[in-house]
Amino acid sequence: MQQALTRKLESFEPLSDQARWALNGLVLKVRQVGARQDLIQEGDKPDNVLLILDGFACRYKVLSDGQRQIMAYLVPGDFCDLNVFILDEMDHTIGTISSCQVVDIPRQAIDEIAAHHPSIARAFWWCSLVDGAVLREWLVNMGARAPDQRIAHLLCELLMRLEAVGRVTDNSYAFPLTQTEIAETIGLSDVHVNRTLRDLRALGLIHLKRRVLTILDVERLKAFCNFTPNYLHLRSTRWGDRRDLSWPGRAQEG
Amino acid sequence: MSGRGNVETLVVLQLQPIAVDTNSPDREGMLVIANGLLVAVLVRLAEPKHDNVGSWFLEAGFGRLQGQRVSAFPTLEDASRWLRRHLKPV
Repeated sequence: MQQALTRKLESFEPLSDQARWALNGLVLKVRQVGARQDLIQEGDKPDNVLLILDGFACRYKVLSDGQRQIMAYLVPGDFCDLNVFILDEMDHTIGTISSCQVVDIPRQAIDEIAAHHPSIARAFWWCSLVDGAVLREWLVNMGARAPDQRIAHLLCELLMRLEAVGRVTDNSYAFPLTQTEIAETIGLSDVHVNRTLRDLRALGLIHLKRRVLTILDVERLKAFCNFTPNYLHLRSTRWGDRRDLSWPGRAQEG
Repeated sequence: MSGRGNVETLVVLQLQPIAVDTNSPDREGMLVIANGLLVAVLVRLAEPKHDNVGSWFLEAGFGRLQGQRVSAFPTLEDASRWLRRHLKPV
């Protein structure tokens, strides 16, 4: 289970053995949290960084009329509040979707490990930047894609993210989301979500049974929603060797 | 209470059957006309995988009902009651 974080960080940044050891040492107390429980609520002061080891959680807000909007999914290896680490209080709530294994990491431990291991510090930066990139992509999804493409896009994204932490087998992954939760994520009604999932099934793109989602034809599903995984910034999707090239201007100066 | 309020709170609803293409087996619909204006389209959920087959879903809303997300209504009476409440001037 502890490997989820290491795998995630390594998908952004190569880690030394020492850095890996240090990360393994971070995971001290694991707690089991039931499904649909709040981990931290809007207005709370975050004392620890939460790390999801297993299960699905989400960031959400509830409007005064009771309508809920989910703004992010957190899957194994995701930090819950690395980004509000420096802020005084939560501006949204984080709750579980399925039952989760959660680790509380004191702020100080995060500060120390990042100070001693520059590769971990960089990987943490990657995490925060990618969270922002995913949020931008979700904005595009909600604002500009057709309803069936929105769902297809979400399913492709989950495939890539879960694959990066070793949670995909034969294009299948655990899918604990209800139709209502999908609806709350992509700004549609439950009814539209139901019809869209039915369409995707009828097109032979997905299979959903007993909370396991199988993508039957990954390339077709990606083409269906024009999925471009660049915003996830996973190593497998980047031009790894390009990153080491120095800037042309600098090279001449040196 | 102002006189204006007395006149405008009177919402006369008419329901008119219509078949609706929802790209699903949910076809049986109702145009909802309030004081002569089309304000909503309700569709009866028929696709067996819906949670609440047989209930009436607010498929589309116009004007003040545009973009409203609400759970499907068990009966047309429930739908009418909700529509009336949301069409009343604030």
